[in-house]
Amino acid sequence: MATCLCDAFFDDVARATVEVLEYLGCEVEFPEGQTCCGQPAFNSGDWPAARKVLRHLVDTFKGGEPIIVPSGSCAAMLYHGSLLAFEHETDLPEVEKVGQRTWEVLDFIVSGLGVKQWEGACEKKMAFHSSCHLRGSNSAEAARLLLGSLRGAEILPFKEQEQCCGFGGTFSVSFPAISADMGLLKLQNIREVKPDLLVAADMSCLMHLRGLSEKQGNPVPVRHAIQVLRDALVAEGKLR
Amino acid sequence: MNTEIPSHGQPIDRFAAAISGEVYESVHSSSAIKSDKRQALLAGDYPNPKHLREIAGQIKQHTLESLDKYLPQAVESLERNGVRVHFAANGEEARQIIGSLLAARGAKKVVKSKSMATEEIHLNDYLAANGVDCIETDLGEFIVQIDGDHPSHIVTPIIHKNRRQIAKSFEKHGLGAYNDDPETITRRARKFMRDKYMSADAGITGANFVVAETGRLVLVTNEGNSRFSLAAPKLHIALVGIEKLVPSDRDLSVFLNLLVRSATGQQFTAYTEFISGPHASGQPSGPEEMHVVFLDNGRSDILAGDCREILRCIRCGACLNICPVYRQASGHAYRSVYPGPIGAVLSPLLAGEKFPSLADLPKASSLCGACNDACPVNIPIPDLLLRLRDKGKREHAPLASRGVPPMGGFAGLASQPALWKGALLAGHVMNYFPVEWVPVPPLSKWTAQRTLPEFRGGEFRKWWKQRRQR
Amino acid sequence: MSSKQQILNKVRQALSDKQNRAPYPVYDTAEYVAKPRVEGGSAEQVFRRNFAAVHGIVVGDFEELKAVLAKQPLKKGCCDPALTAKLQGLHIEWESEFNRNKFDEYDIGVTFASGAVAETGSLMLKDRATADRLSALAPWVHVAVLKRSEIYLTLPEALQRLGDDPNVILVTGPSKTADVEGILIEGVHGPGVQIAWLVD
Repeated sequence: MATCLCDAFFDDVARATVEVLEYLGCEVEFPEGQTCCGQPAFNSGDWPAARKVLRHLVDTFKGGEPIIVPSGSCAAMLYHGSLLAFEHETDLPEVEKVGQRTWEVLDFIVSGLGVKQWEGACEKKMAFHSSCHLRGSNSAEAARLLLGSLRGAEILPFKEQEQCCGFGGTFSVSFPAISADMGLLKLQNIREVKPDLLVAADMSCLMHLRGLSEKQGNPVPVRHAIQVLRDALVAEGKLR
Repeated sequence: MNTEIPSHGQPIDRFAAAISGEVYESVHSSSAIKSDKRQALLAGDYPNPKHLREIAGQIKQHTLESLDKYLPQAVESLERNGVRVHFAANGEEARQIIGSLLAARGAKKVVKSKSMATEEIHLNDYLAANGVDCIETDLGEFIVQIDGDHPSHIVTPIIHKNRRQIAKSFEKHGLGAYNDDPETITRRARKFMRDKYMSADAGITGANFVVAETGRLVLVTNEGNSRFSLAAPKLHIALVGIEKLVPSDRDLSVFLNLLVRSATGQQFTAYTEFISGPHASGQPSGPEEMHVVFLDNGRSDILAGDCREILRCIRCGACLNICPVYRQASGHAYRSVYPGPIGAVLSPLLAGEKFPSLADLPKASSLCGACNDACPVNIPIPDLLLRLRDKGKREHAPLASRGVPPMGGFAGLASQPALWKGALLAGHVMNYFPVEWVPVPPLSKWTAQRTLPEFRGGEFRKWWKQRRQR
Repeated sequence: MSSKQQILNKVRQALSDKQNRAPYPVYDTAEYVAKPRVEGGSAEQVFRRNFAAVHGIVVGDFEELKAVLAKQPLKKGCCDPALTAKLQGLHIEWESEFNRNKFDEYDIGVTFASGAVAETGSLMLKDRATADRLSALAPWVHVAVLKRSEIYLTLPEALQRLGDDPNVILVTGPSKTADVEGILIEGVHGPGVQIAWLVD
């Protein structure tokens, strides 16, 4: 599943996901009817609207194959949030099945495919923002493991690492002041350790932090972890 | 408490934008330090703190779901120990019970040890109006009391104040010339309070836990104020929420270890009291008479609903300390006795019929989940916030919908692939997309501080098609 | 109907449709013992280390007690009547009954402890064994007389010893606060100096 953010803005992240999975020997399908995971409506408290979107998703992703998502947030919506939204619905079992098939891509590579090390180099100092919706999954450890195994890569610790970037979907629209201050604090803590690159496993956080920093006139370079892994393969000549 | 709601925008966001740099600094640095201490201590002491939190949550959940057994058992145990037990359906009844217990002994002077339940029922105002001189003995609560302020945190009530503000209050209230040295402030409070303890007729406390099996009431403090409140006066009244029970003494090692580490980043508090009745015969000090007032005040309604996990809460405040929104907004932003993530769930629920007046609180979260990770009883706070958002929308509470984009159009689009694809390609998606990604008015607030990425709708699908054709 | 009946009924009703109630989990209290805190020696050694960590002072005999008390300006004290004879030679005027009217005059109080918890560095005081709660609380210095044989290694062990005393308190170092800017200050309402005097 590409996610609506990648569908609308970050096509290269979806592309990198496909390229990396195919490189690892997976056969990738892209059901063209896909749209969104329903999280914007779910988080806004409009659960009937969220269910409508999720029912469409269940229809679109029929079958038994793993569903791979380049976003911990959308993945968590499918394996956790959707269960809440469908708690009292008769089609809960179908939704549950989709959730059980869903993986965040880095977690899938490490825990699903058993890849513990990555080929290639990334001679950069990286700040890895552990996006909040990776909590409760192995994704953050998976990302750190793979990124850390790149030749020359260094992952820098920074202050208040566990804190949210302030995006939170509609939260950033409803609470513009708090959201921006959270993001600016995160940027300040990240800049303090002077990374070459800010990496995360969710484009939503990166969009927020990039957007804030660009407005400040000092954009931080950002990259999704899957792009970093793909770029390393390309540089090694393993991928074109 | 300031309960004024601005005419537009999110009240909590507006409040946060308006707090002074001084308050922000106090709250942010103190919360961050305490979160770090808690994490370091738990990780240093236990190989798997998460597992311990899960067990603690299960014990509490079990207790709540068997409250029909444990509550009568607790009453029986307390009465066996010589404690008189009362029940208050709401704040009004609790105030009256406490008032008449004091009146029956002619008690006019009361020392009170920090208790959120008494805050919840606004006991101090009631006692003052009835001619009872009631002094808060916890240093932080005392400062809040002389300032006519309200606690902004459930464990560290004056987290929003710095030493200079405290020194000014002390000076204003005749507790000595201006001196902002924390040690001097503490010594002055010690001196002032001692006469109050010794002349008090009654001590009022809350309880951190009540053991159903043995009827033991457990109190944890650091300052020794609750001990003093129960050493000098002859009457002890404890106000206890009905959710405070734990099954047996053995469970206390679970909760004491987790509560203290989570609350203050200490491994144990200076004073941990196990009280199962009036003083021992032969003991010259301590209460001759002890009463427990069990408070419902909306709790049994919460127990009946789908957010009952919130009743597991042991009031440690770890979720406040870790919460990025609390760190920006401080506690008073929540317009209720319980602030932070726990308050964003508990306060609207305890409000009962007045839920709509606090229906915006559950929205004050990016749903980052840090609170759940920090909670010693593993309360799924984000899930409960979401449930309350759903409830707010279903019940058409205006504050629940304020500032939140309508999702009907988005849902229509996102469930019809042809429209979705067309919109992506034509860029029309801008008109239906959740506004956080759309450059239309509500978004102007977003774009005031952030740029938007380049819109590349349909690019991935184009690439995918070409790749398949090859 | 009384509020008691009303509330109990509401609680019953709230749970009436709950089919599968959460069971009491299977767990061992030993999981909650902080291993690093109880390692490294006998219960006494562990207690000494952990009590010192919370700024309590342990003395092993009378001479040591004398040396520690010499550092404090102590004029008047209140001690358990059973201890008066043992406390001579300290240049302190002892009273064996706590006089409430003179509560501020006592610089030191000496009472019996009923045990200790090595893991947490806590003294256990029980109402029946404490001559007066105020002696252990109001003076700046408190000395608890603790039998070495009553030091329990872990908190779960100590909790099994609460017994039927109506008031048991675990005292973990001097009284303290961090309410002002998170800065630790000792000696708030209770003692600023907390001493454990070990005896056989």
